Amino acid sequence: MSDAIAVRPLATATVDELARLVGLPPLDAATLARIAEGAGRAAAAVRASTAGSLFDVEPATFLTELERLAEPAA
Amino acid sequence: MNDAPDTLIGAAAALASGAVSSVELTRDCLTRAARLNQALNCFLRLDTDAALAAAAMADAARAAGRALGPLHGVPLALKDMFYDPTHETSSGSAIRAGFRADTVATVVTRLQAAGAINLGALNMTEFALGPTGHNAVYGACRNPWNTAYIAGGSSSGAAVAVAARLAYGTLGSDTGGSIRGPASANGVLGMKPTYGRVSRAGAMPLSWSCDHIGPLARTAADLARLLGVIAGPDPADSSASRRAVPDYEAGLDAGVAGLRIGVPRNFYFEAVDSGLQRRLDDALAVLASAGARLVAVDVADPSELTELSRAIVYPEAAAAHAHWLRTRPQDYSPQVHARISSGIAIPAPLYLEALQLRPRLLARFVDSVYAHCDVLATPTLAQPVPTLAATDVGGGETMWALIAALVRCVAPFNYLGVPALSVPVGPDAHGLPVGLQLVGRPFSEALLLRVAASYQRHSDWHAHRPPLAAV
Repeated sequence: MSDAIAVRPLATATVDELARLVGLPPLDAATLARIAEGAGRAAAAVRASTAGSLFDVEPATFLTELERLAEPAA
Repeated sequence: MNDAPDTLIGAAAALASGAVSSVELTRDCLTRAARLNQALNCFLRLDTDAALAAAAMADAARAAGRALGPLHGVPLALKDMFYDPTHETSSGSAIRAGFRADTVATVVTRLQAAGAINLGALNMTEFALGPTGHNAVYGACRNPWNTAYIAGGSSSGAAVAVAARLAYGTLGSDTGGSIRGPASANGVLGMKPTYGRVSRAGAMPLSWSCDHIGPLARTAADLARLLGVIAGPDPADSSASRRAVPDYEAGLDAGVAGLRIGVPRNFYFEAVDSGLQRRLDDALAVLASAGARLVAVDVADPSELTELSRAIVYPEAAAAHAHWLRTRPQDYSPQVHARISSGIAIPAPLYLEALQLRPRLLARFVDSVYAHCDVLATPTLAQPVPTLAATDVGGGETMWALIAALVRCVAPFNYLGVPALSVPVGPDAHGLPVGLQLVGRPFSEALLLRVAASYQRHSDWHAHRPPLAAV
């Protein structure tokens, strides 16, 4: 990821709470730390990539967009 | 057999002419697999009796004048994640050990209809989540060029079986590079087709939005034959495109004269090992000498795309695995457990934003890159193939860094959904293969195959056999 993207670390206590909310058995400290790191980076990338509103964007148009962008003769 | 054809196309032609029987070819593959599997661990299960029976039926059909299809009698093998009620599908996991599905994967049906013989189930990373080929349950798959090195993952067995001449072609899955990485590491071709080009119905899901199924083989023509069989619309998979499937073999000899091959100025070649760089430069020079024009292009920061794909893959995987995460967490390896569980910490709005961004970023990528070139060329792996020992990190502190390094050049294209293939271009300093990745516009598989075919016509690396396969 670009160094310009600020990765806000997720507290392991937060991950622990989320795991309980989802109904997972208790996670060890190392697993909580790995989850916090991985999720934190992914979340930072979404925040960094979202410039402006996505109000009218329907995610299900992805396949349609792939087909639209294909070479006509492909 | 000392004179067995070396390619899938060659095998199909030899079968059609009567020069060899399917039973002979199938027995040859099974014998070699039984001999080499202890060293390579690429097969989880050899279906010897079923494969020989199917081969005998294929020979009988041919003798009766009934042609079964373009793979009539050709021995293939599948990553152990494609459902078929006639056998168990482990998905490389302890949790699914002994699982027998009640549906057949569409790709399995299509291969059978084309006359292919299934040799058995191939090793893979647990639940298709991991780029090294380690597997805590079934043991690591090993690289036939040097068994101290990784096979790559998650389609580890699929690449090794092709490289070691144990099957004429295989199918794998690719959610973040899982076909192209192993293909590169083992010196074979592997293609991740456009999202929606190949049905996922009946295949183990990892991420509904980023999973792709594709073929691995030793030549571009072999890959084209396999893709032509498995591609196409499928009522059982709503994400499968209705777009017509072209004849992928028809244009393979058209060459690359006048074609613009884009070479990224930024990111992809920045972290490449110098030995790999020489091989990749040589490969690009081969394409240039065949008439292609090399053009430098700038690409938007792909590392963000990789992270965006994680914002999709992990929540989807966590949802698919939710029941087992709650009830059987001890049955996952630490790395796979930590990676899948990461989905619980990515808020739903961010997951959906990552999905919403996808069409927009795809259009931006296609418009900015393919205005300047026809095909983008990058390394498949940015570093030499590492050893099994160096990558046996489990769920440890270096887990994310290791994964990021191995998927650096491949994972962005799972988010974008565009087609990409890896073609082998020579050995590195340790004798391990190097792969060149070719990336195209959506549904440009035929063009990628044409470029790979042109490279293989002007080079001979694909004919080299790993030391173990020469046995």
